[in-house]
Amino acid sequence: MYGAKSSSRSTGLFLTLCAAMLLLAMLSQQTWAAGARGAAKSALAPLEQAMTSVAARADRIAAIFGDVSALRAENAKLRTADEQERRQIVELQAAAKENAQLRQALDFQKSWGHKLVAADVIGAGPDALTRTIEIDRGTADGVKPGMVVVTGAGLLGRVREAGPHAANVQTLADPLSRVNVYLSKSGLQGTLSGGPAALALDVQHTIGVAVSNGDWVLTSGVGGSYPRGLVIGEIATVTRRDTSTSDLAEVAWVNEPTSVSFVLVIKDFIPS
Amino acid sequence: MLLALALVQVTWASRLSIAGAFPNLVLIAVVGITWMQGVRAGLLWGCVGGVLLDLTASGPVGPHALALLSAAYVTSLWARNLERPNAAHAALTAGAGTVVYSVTLVLTDGLLGTPAMDAAVVAQLTFAAAIYNAVLTPFAIEAIRRLRALVPDPEPA
Repeated sequence: MYGAKSSSRSTGLFLTLCAAMLLLAMLSQQTWAAGARGAAKSALAPLEQAMTSVAARADRIAAIFGDVSALRAENAKLRTADEQERRQIVELQAAAKENAQLRQALDFQKSWGHKLVAADVIGAGPDALTRTIEIDRGTADGVKPGMVVVTGAGLLGRVREAGPHAANVQTLADPLSRVNVYLSKSGLQGTLSGGPAALALDVQHTIGVAVSNGDWVLTSGVGGSYPRGLVIGEIATVTRRDTSTSDLAEVAWVNEPTSVSFVLVIKDFIPS
Repeated sequence: MLLALALVQVTWASRLSIAGAFPNLVLIAVVGITWMQGVRAGLLWGCVGGVLLDLTASGPVGPHALALLSAAYVTSLWARNLERPNAAHAALTAGAGTVVYSVTLVLTDGLLGTPAMDAAVVAQLTFAAAIYNAVLTPFAIEAIRRLRALVPDPEPA
């Protein structure tokens, strides 16, 4: 009998706590609670930043044995320079093709140059079901939900939530991430989805044009969530589906969220 | 201790990713506490740990706490019916707890209006995470046992 009473008390406690947490979730989700929620989340940001610094320092100390640190830094610098140059080449090629087609028809002029704010990555999402990162800039620095986040290599994701001094960024690898894109060589359009293994691209069939490996993927601007022309990655594999109106492709993303330590938030593009 | 584990989880744990999953240190700790100290302690620390994880994630505060509460309760149901608990049972409860945790998170997100994830992706990530957490939990329980041995029991009044 004691066992049964104890069991029912535990169940009662479980149900009470569940109800309380569900109520807390519903209340904290409301628009009027956004300020308090952001402030509470920003409270942990200094601790996350300190822990990330400790991790970086531990990496450096461990790398002393074998001089891996110097080689890694040089490798990273070369990789960054290479990625930046590749991004610029792809952007220039895509822009040249687009301008040749649109210049006479629309008198369209694209302006480059955005207002950016630099931020350090101080943390990641708490579990494998989300692929988010935490940065050390927030509303006090002009960062707002919906703003686009990039690195020197290309598009990283979008600000999902912002507190006063920290913000949560949904990366393209998040399973809920969706980006409208186009391919630089073929001009085909599609939708890019996040996932645990690779970025998946669903490309619409067009007569006479096919997706090919090595084609670069850029944001199309369709939908207004991202500006047009941001580099995402390269087509790695293609799965042709004759019984469907679209083909599937895997995209080799230019960014690796677990190794990104520094990002840029585009402040002057407001998604529609 | 849970604050430290939550911070380590969001700063270091993602570097240990295998098949898209990385260890959920707070979940492992809650399962371990439930094993060692009973369901009440597991539920209360699950609440605390869950709120800490919610503060590091986007979205409302509460879903991760709800998920950890469910995992702790399932662990207590399993542990209660064992005559001879051992490391294998601890690992299995961690795996089951991970599945319950993930399902609760997805259901709660659905209830709160968040877009649903692809079921195949959730299944893949949950399976990988369940194995990861199952492997680490027996070591975590041993660590909790040794930590408790270091702290002297308070003398009865």
